[in-house]
Amino acid sequence: MGILLSFVMNEAMRDLRRAGKIGLAAILLIALSLTALGGFWLLSLNLGRAIDQWGDRVRIIVYLKDEPAAAKVDDVLQRIEAVGGIQRLRYVSKAEALRALKRSLGSQADVADQLPRNPLPASVEVTPDAAIATPEGTRALVGRLATVPDVEEVQGGSQWVDGLAQFRRLFQGVGLVIGAVLAVAAILTVTTATTLVLHLRRDEMEIMRLVGATEHVIRAPRLVQGMAQGLVAAIIALAALEIAYALAVPRLEPLLPVTIGLERVTFLSPLQALALIGAGTLLGALGGLLARGRATA
Amino acid sequence: MIRLQHVSMVFGAGPSRVAALSDVSFHIGKGEFVVLTGASGAGKTTLLRLLYRAESPSEGDIDVAGFDVSALRRSEIPRLRRSIGIVFQDAKLLAGRTVFENVAFVLRVLGTARRDITPKAFAALKAVGLSARAQAYPHQLSQGEAQRASLARAIVKSPGLLLADEATGNLDEEMANEILGLVKDIWSRGTTVLFATHQARLVPQLKRRTLRLEGGRLVKDEG
Repeated sequence: MGILLSFVMNEAMRDLRRAGKIGLAAILLIALSLTALGGFWLLSLNLGRAIDQWGDRVRIIVYLKDEPAAAKVDDVLQRIEAVGGIQRLRYVSKAEALRALKRSLGSQADVADQLPRNPLPASVEVTPDAAIATPEGTRALVGRLATVPDVEEVQGGSQWVDGLAQFRRLFQGVGLVIGAVLAVAAILTVTTATTLVLHLRRDEMEIMRLVGATEHVIRAPRLVQGMAQGLVAAIIALAALEIAYALAVPRLEPLLPVTIGLERVTFLSPLQALALIGAGTLLGALGGLLARGRATA
Repeated sequence: MIRLQHVSMVFGAGPSRVAALSDVSFHIGKGEFVVLTGASGAGKTTLLRLLYRAESPSEGDIDVAGFDVSALRRSEIPRLRRSIGIVFQDAKLLAGRTVFENVAFVLRVLGTARRDITPKAFAALKAVGLSARAQAYPHQLSQGEAQRASLARAIVKSPGLLLADEATGNLDEEMANEILGLVKDIWSRGTTVLFATHQARLVPQLKRRTLRLEGGRLVKDEG
């Protein structure tokens, strides 16, 4: 078995050399496909992290119609909590809201002192339960809060996450389509390269059949050739992604906290990188298997 | 070693139907040297192709080296062919490999142990007198040398049966006699030989049992 394996590997390497520029094109196409797929995957993973982290930070602001008396604050909070799905509540009085406004105005804080009266309403900051901290769950909570009699208006933090989630879905869809198109092109190129090699190898294949080689031994080199092309391509794709990551992250990371609320961008994990390599090897193997060429004997 | 019973081979259908072989029966025992003769188109190559299952007979039974060839499953054909060495009119050497590599290729493809490949390949080359040309490439060989290399490749796996299909067809008389001599040597070591040729002058030279085909029919079996 070891001898035959050695024979298959040697013949596959010989075929790779014979494939020449077409073989190289196949490798580059698979690399391109995997780089696109990997890039979309990377971005999608980080978007997903941003969406997941949102669940810890979201705040819904419930503006009250009137500021309750100190003794009635707990009653109001209980009525709000009764809608369900709430992890934490924090009451913000009109005075505290004005103080927060002055802090945000900074050196312009004395503008607020010119106001004849405090126009800011009392409010309750609501943190949803982790279990419902999704755009859909938040929307439902906002709807329930709006029915509480004490409530004037509810402002939720879900709109931008809705947009982010939709963008992520669109992104994933586009990435899959582009990746699939490139993958098909890559498979077809590997198939073409392998078919060319089979044509060049037809004399050898004829001899192999005449002397009693099994079909497995005859076909194995083209499978190995395809896998080798896919493996090399996957490594190239991974390297390209690493380089793009190293170049882009220093420029992107300062913007992430204020845009999507993400502190840092992570790269593919070792397991994910292995999955990418596996996908490349599989693409190459498919291309090799699909090649048709047969010496008659 | 070889038994054919009422074997026919028909190609095509309707107006384009061609009977390449019609009701051919014969038996060749182990260790025999038999000449298969007939004009071009008589059915010699078709008969040989049936023996190594490059074709399936339209009718009849074929037994080769214990294999029921006519009923052989596709997956079993490699086993049959491992017991047969085949030499063609065209040497069919692999251009990108040396003479030694061409012969060793057979052993590598069949999974021969690495330590046995070189001695066996050189033994085969020695048997056909090509040891000195082991590192030459096919384009550097004469026709006679190329045919000897082809013979070495056919016998390197020590087959019980050697089929030669017009092995001297492309050679001049001197080279043809050389090849014939080598084939006889191979036969003398116990290999059964079926030697197909359209060259009538070789038949009396060989002084062997002769099967003659005409129009796909076996018209003579003598010797």
